[in-house]
Amino acid sequence: MPRLVRHRRRLSLSRPIAGLALAGLVLAACGGGGGGSKGSPTAKPSDLPACPLGAIAKAASKPVTITMWHSMSMANEATLKALTDRFNASQPDVRVQLVNETSYDDTLTNYKAALGGGTLPDLVQIQDVDQQLMIDSKSILPVESCIRADKYPVDDLIPRVNAYYTVRGVQYALPFSVSNPVLYYNRVAFQKAGLDPDKPPTTLDEVRTAAQKMQASGVTKYGIALKIETWHLEEWLAMAGQPFVNNGNGRDKRATKTAFDSAQGQAIFQWLAQMSKDGVLQTMPASGYDNMFAVANGVAGMTVDTSAVLGTAVQLLASGQYKDVSLGTAKLPGPGTGGGGTVVAGSALYIPDKNAPEKQEAAWRFARFLTEPQQMADWAAGTGYIPINEKSVQLPTITDLWAKTPGFRVAYDQLLAGQENTASAGALIGDFEGVRRAIVSAEESVFQGADPAKALSDAAAQGDRAIADYEARVGG
Amino acid sequence: MRTTLRYTVLVVMAVIVLFPIVVTIINSLLKPDQIAARPPRLFPDDPQWHSYSTAMDAGKLRLYLRNSFVVAGLITVAQVMTAVFAAYAFAFLRFPLKRTLFVVFLATLMVSGEVTLIINRQTVVALGWFNSYAALIVPFMASGFGAFLLRQAFLTVPQDLRDAAALDGYGHWRFMFRVVVPLARPAIGALSVFSFLLAWNQYLWPLIVTESDSVRTVQIGLRQLRATSIDQINVTFAGTVIAALPIFVLLVLFQKQLVRGLTAGAVKG
Repeated sequence: MPRLVRHRRRLSLSRPIAGLALAGLVLAACGGGGGGSKGSPTAKPSDLPACPLGAIAKAASKPVTITMWHSMSMANEATLKALTDRFNASQPDVRVQLVNETSYDDTLTNYKAALGGGTLPDLVQIQDVDQQLMIDSKSILPVESCIRADKYPVDDLIPRVNAYYTVRGVQYALPFSVSNPVLYYNRVAFQKAGLDPDKPPTTLDEVRTAAQKMQASGVTKYGIALKIETWHLEEWLAMAGQPFVNNGNGRDKRATKTAFDSAQGQAIFQWLAQMSKDGVLQTMPASGYDNMFAVANGVAGMTVDTSAVLGTAVQLLASGQYKDVSLGTAKLPGPGTGGGGTVVAGSALYIPDKNAPEKQEAAWRFARFLTEPQQMADWAAGTGYIPINEKSVQLPTITDLWAKTPGFRVAYDQLLAGQENTASAGALIGDFEGVRRAIVSAEESVFQGADPAKALSDAAAQGDRAIADYEARVGG
Repeated sequence: MRTTLRYTVLVVMAVIVLFPIVVTIINSLLKPDQIAARPPRLFPDDPQWHSYSTAMDAGKLRLYLRNSFVVAGLITVAQVMTAVFAAYAFAFLRFPLKRTLFVVFLATLMVSGEVTLIINRQTVVALGWFNSYAALIVPFMASGFGAFLLRQAFLTVPQDLRDAAALDGYGHWRFMFRVVVPLARPAIGALSVFSFLLAWNQYLWPLIVTESDSVRTVQIGLRQLRATSIDQINVTFAGTVIAALPIFVLLVLFQKQLVRGLTAGAVKG
């Protein structure tokens, strides 16, 4: 709650008149039932800063030109460019210019630098885990304001995706590029090892059995190739409905400590350690695609990677360079306890609140446009990200894609299937990178033979320190 | 015997140093699936030369290279000029607070660029230079290191030459350009190469003061290429080779000057 009050104070100082004028609109939007399905307590309209709708109409000159910072490259960039051209051509009021900031990390660095002295973008694409940082930067107009004021049918978007970007009843960003880890496996290897390729493993125990079977029968050298990644712990805890950090994953209150050194967390690390000890698991670097190539080359029978890589994998396999491979895609196997779901991954669109009102409105219009059914369908088809608008999946763009390659459907279904709670909503941590570093080094030591129980509790202690340091600097 | 041993050690070192470079070049010519193959390939039987043109055109490296040449070139020229003037003053002129000023010059070498990053950015934005060549060039037109290096070189000019020049009626300007600069050529050459190298390899500064392709430099372009999808990983390698090539050529051409110039004045100061 103190956070919301702070927003109001800042905005009522800078734009008191717009704030008053919009209060009425916001109330009206609420009466219409906007934003009612958030699960968590709904913020009072008066707590939100105002969305400057109508500012473009009053702008001194038109079109209003805005800048969007993104981190897309190649095919993804081309698709974004095409959608931007479509937007620019569709109306006379707003012109959007794209700026490629090369990577999520560099976008954030540049954003922090720009906070100091003007030249903020009007719309910025930021990576999932940096949400708490963006909120703490106190430079964001929550899209919640505009969703309500503009009566945007946000319920068309997958609720769990909105939930990721909603904190204590306020949605801060509009999700855009969303992906999810899924299981990739070689159907041919499954068949040869006497496994049913139509029944891929759904739990970690089944993964273990299948991996051992493929290895024992000599079909593949390793059962499964896994990147050294924090995904395993983050996703499998979320799938079991267990928190990653305390205070409801940082969503009820700011997180003060990690929570992953739990019975479930220990079981996950135990599983990884045993798989590695038995030699059925091949570890892979976190960056790059060596794990995918291990499956393609027949070295491993399975791997876990983001759903966003499927398009490229399909393309590569179609080139016919790989024999004895038929790619299967399945939901991510989990601890098997139920009670949660995979965490939304990817990036979202934030509207900085320091720019002129007409630019903020223009940014909102463009962000809204990008998530509308047809655009979201084209975006998903062009990039491999999940079509997060549930109306997109009824359009031919997506139905054709799914008919041709059913694997594209898996991540979408997986997101819909998950239960909505604070565990599956994902953790909110200011220094997420610091916590992740602790886990990655713990995983590395486990794969080199260290005791998993101790490695995980060490990682928890190190993660606690990272959180405490950040909270001492920024939190409040 | 000792020669054999020495050469063996040198060859081993050379292989270790050259291996990553060779692999980068080979990978730029392999097909993506060959890059990932185990064991790795060490010879491209079907060289993919088009990865270079893809990097230049689709990867926009042609544009970024031009910008890098303009920026690094102008920075080099400006840095050498300011360094010559400053070094001459510190070496041959007498003026109040000379020692103090020289220490202040040296002190700027101790402050790392990261410390002044944000404040420099604010200055550049306030001057209205955001997203322009000026933002990339002006902050680097003078360097404490250049003044220091050339001062040390200028101090090695013998007193006799100064006296002789004075007898011939040379003023400061003529003495500087006719005598000192030609004598300090190795040091000036080294400074030029060094400035160019640093300017060419800059990444963070160009990233945060620019936002359009028309002024962005090759290192940013390279980073964009790095995010390429796996079906074009060889393009990333090709881009790396392209971006490193000018530096490589420069080093080969000026190797002697670089080594001689940076050690010049080492024994006399």
